[in-house]
Amino acid sequence: MHKVLIIDDSDINLTLIRALVLKLGECEPIMFEHPVKALEWCRDNVPDLVIVDYMMPEMDGLRFIAGFRALHGRTEIPVLMITANDQKDVRYEALLGGANDFLTKPIDRIEFSARARNMLALRTGQKFLADRAAFLAEKVDERTREIRERERELIFRISRAAEFRDPETGAHIQRMAHYSEIIARGLDLDAATCRLILQAAPMHDVGKIGIRDYILLKPGRLTPQEFEIMKRHAELGYELLRNSGSEIMQAGAEIALAHHEKYDGSGYPKGLKGQAIPLFGRIVAVADVFDALTSERPYKKAWALEDARRLVEEGRGKHFDPVCVEAFLAGWDEALEIHQRFRDDEAPAI
Amino acid sequence: MIMPFVLDKSAILERLGGDEEIYAMMLDMFLQDVDNNCAALLAAAAAGDQALLQREAHTVKGLLATFSDDAGAAVAFTLEQHARAGRQAEAASLVDEVIARVGEVAGVLRGQSGG
Repeated sequence: MHKVLIIDDSDINLTLIRALVLKLGECEPIMFEHPVKALEWCRDNVPDLVIVDYMMPEMDGLRFIAGFRALHGRTEIPVLMITANDQKDVRYEALLGGANDFLTKPIDRIEFSARARNMLALRTGQKFLADRAAFLAEKVDERTREIRERERELIFRISRAAEFRDPETGAHIQRMAHYSEIIARGLDLDAATCRLILQAAPMHDVGKIGIRDYILLKPGRLTPQEFEIMKRHAELGYELLRNSGSEIMQAGAEIALAHHEKYDGSGYPKGLKGQAIPLFGRIVAVADVFDALTSERPYKKAWALEDARRLVEEGRGKHFDPVCVEAFLAGWDEALEIHQRFRDDEAPAI
Repeated sequence: MIMPFVLDKSAILERLGGDEEIYAMMLDMFLQDVDNNCAALLAAAAAGDQALLQREAHTVKGLLATFSDDAGAAVAFTLEQHARAGRQAEAASLVDEVIARVGEVAGVLRGQSGG
């Protein structure tokens, strides 16, 4: 059912146009004698066709069309203006002002029907295209969500692959990712960036895939030569993830490379110092060390949470960026919740 | 003086797509509104309000044209143009003629509607 808005200050014309609109079929005429009231109606209602007289008191047809077109979402709705044959100048002005076509007074039914049907066909086409565009946009959103979900799952599984070869657990990567997010929020990073670090942090040790078992799984201390080989996991992880089209993979590459850098420049692989270390690397350094300390390993017991906290605090300005430490301490209660939520003895949820 | 009004029902009906129902409705409405339209025209002229007179003349022009009274509509159009241009004396001189024409048309239509 098409809503046809008719605005004419003359009763007789309103009645005539209403009768002609009803003859078109599938139309609901909505009539106004006063253009100002019609415009108010248009603020909350969307007509499919507007038929407006030119000469009216209060507001003429041109001003009505200008007001109508200024309303949000009303720029494409067809408008027919009724004019007398002698008003050529008005017609030009109306065309420039947004009228789509004209009806000449006295109204002729054949002309009226043809022009009104053309306008309604145009409107039907517009609605079809709008519906189709909305449908496609929804489909694209749905598919994008699926792809993002798969990307997230894939990243988690890649991260797990590295962890499987390591005494560390799936719960470790969950905890350190959430600690990283807590720090990011504490630094007032925007929501998208906080989500990005949460998704990318699990890949920090993915380079361990490339480290031989006898070093990676060695129960005792590594020799200096073995430690040099172990340190290579940072660059291996970077090599594995860099140049990806995925924003998460790119962030993962940066984290893999930088998470063993230390604020005072004594870290590896590049020995970067202070702000020269990428922010994500500085954040993940705090999160990773804290979780390593508070987790049990075959070669060590888990530290008490307060002891680990003290070590992080002591590392301020040496191992860690002081600002990241502050952000972590500010989110301490949340960090404790994360510690409780992701336990080593439970299979991690993907 | 203009030619007397002769109702050309077939021409009007042709414009209305041969719809007798709409024709009858239009006729009733014209007769219902005719006194108000004439009064509004007179009041505008009496008040010397040229913009209002232009609009009322425009309305009457439309009504007469609806009943295919081209000659009557032409006089109303001239009145409308005078009012629009602010030619008060010329406009005032046509008001009575237009009102008389509307009355004449109404009389013929009343005969048609049986009223």
